[in-house]
Amino acid sequence: MEASGLQPRQSNRLPGRPNDPANLADILERVLDKGIVIAGDIQINLLEIELLTIKLRLLIASVDRAREMGINWWESDSSLQSVEDGNGGNARAQLEKENRELRERLDRLERLVGEGSKK
Amino acid sequence: MSDELARWAAERAPALLARAEEEALIVLRDALVAAALGERKREATPPSPPPSGPAPEPEAGELVWAYCVMSEGEPRPAERRGIDPGSAVQAVEAGGLVALVSRVPRAEFGEAPLRQNLNDLDWLERVARAHEAVLDAALEQSTIVPLRLCTLYESEEGVRQMLEHEAAALREAIDLLRGRQEWSVKVIVDPDRLSAEAHARSEQAQAFEHELEGVGGGGAYMLRRRLERHLREASESLARELAHDVHGRLEERALDAVTRAPQNRELSGHEGEMILNAAYLVDAERVNELRDLVAQLEAQHETLGARIELSGPWPPYNFVPSGAATIA
Repeated sequence: MEASGLQPRQSNRLPGRPNDPANLADILERVLDKGIVIAGDIQINLLEIELLTIKLRLLIASVDRAREMGINWWESDSSLQSVEDGNGGNARAQLEKENRELRERLDRLERLVGEGSKK
Repeated sequence: MSDELARWAAERAPALLARAEEEALIVLRDALVAAALGERKREATPPSPPPSGPAPEPEAGELVWAYCVMSEGEPRPAERRGIDPGSAVQAVEAGGLVALVSRVPRAEFGEAPLRQNLNDLDWLERVARAHEAVLDAALEQSTIVPLRLCTLYESEEGVRQMLEHEAAALREAIDLLRGRQEWSVKVIVDPDRLSAEAHARSEQAQAFEHELEGVGGGGAYMLRRRLERHLREASESLARELAHDVHGRLEERALDAVTRAPQNRELSGHEGEMILNAAYLVDAERVNELRDLVAQLEAQHETLGARIELSGPWPPYNFVPSGAATIA
C-alpha cells in the first residue's frame, strides 16, 4: 500500500494522546541538536547556532524535574552513572567551579553575539 | 611528560565541559523557558498582524536549503513542496551522492533575517516540521543522512561542491545506516499510581501507618511527614529501576542507543512524568522484535502506571557517526 505523500509515523500511541503526529520537542531535539553538521555558504555564525541549540536544549528538557526524582544518568549518556556515585563532594565542588567558569564564558559569548548582530 | 599531560587534558576536557555545561544550563533554563513560552503565548493572542509599511529593504533572490543526502542509486521521494511552499524539492547530484534541496527566499533565510527568525519559536516550528516532513518522505524508501537545520547554500553549485568535498564522510554515514532504523522510546509514569504502588510494596510504610493509628497531635504530624518522605523516596527508586530496566532491555537488542533528557511537558504535551527519553538504532528487519519487547515491558510494568511510547522510524539523526560531522 503505497500512499502518496507523507505517511504518518507508525507508533503504538493510544488514541487520544495529545502529541500527534509528532511532538515539537521530538522534532526540535533532532533537527537542531543532531544530524550531520556541514558548513553551508551562509555564514550564520556557528556560535549563534550553538547558542540557539543550547537554548533549545533548555526549552526541550525538563531536567530539574527528573533530577528531583534522582534521575540524571543521561548526563553520562548511556553509562547509567550518577554524578554523586563515584567521587562524592570533590566532584561537586569541581563542577561548581567549572559551572562558574562556563557561565562567564557564556556571558562573553553572548556579548560577542550581541556585538556581531549590531554590525 | 608534558605531552602526556596535554593528552590527558585533551581527553578529559570534553567530558568535563559537557558536564559543566549541563549544570550551567539548568541554572539558565527556567528563565529562558519562561521567557520563550511567555513570548510565544503573547504573540499567539493577537493574530499576527501583517507587516505594515514597507519592509526595510528585504534581500532579493533565493538560497538553496539542503535536507539530507543519500546514495545516487536510491529512489527519490515523490514530487513535493519544500520549506517554501512555492518551491519543489529537487535532487542535486555529485560524487555518486544526491542531496535533496529546495529554494528558499533570501528575504527570509538570508543571514540577517535568519538570525531573527531562528529566535521565533513559531517560525522555527514551521521550518523544523517542513524539514522533517521532507526527510520522512525520503526515509520511506531510502537510506538518508539527515542534515542539521539551516544548511544553506548560495546555489546548487555550492551543494555539489559540498557533496564532493564531504563524500568520504557521507558515504561512511550511509554505510553505517543502511538497513537500520532509528526508533524512539519514552517511558512516562503516572506519579499517583507510582506512589500507590510504592506504598503497597513497602512494609515500612504500612508500619508507619499502623503506628499512626495509636498516636495523636505532634507525634502524628512527625510520623506523617516521615511517611511522606519515605513514600517519595520509594517512588523515586521505583521510577529509577523502571527506567534502567526498560533502557537496559532495549539496549541489549539495539545496535546503538542514545539517551536524552526527559522533555518539557509544554512542548511535548505528555501527561505524567517522563522518566526515559531514548533512541535506538535497530536492524529494519528486527523492528517487530523491538515492538514485541516494548509491549512486553509495558505489560510487565503495568502496575506502576507506566506507558511506553514507541515511535518511528525516525530519520537517523541520533546515529549519524560523529566522526562524519565536519565544521568547515
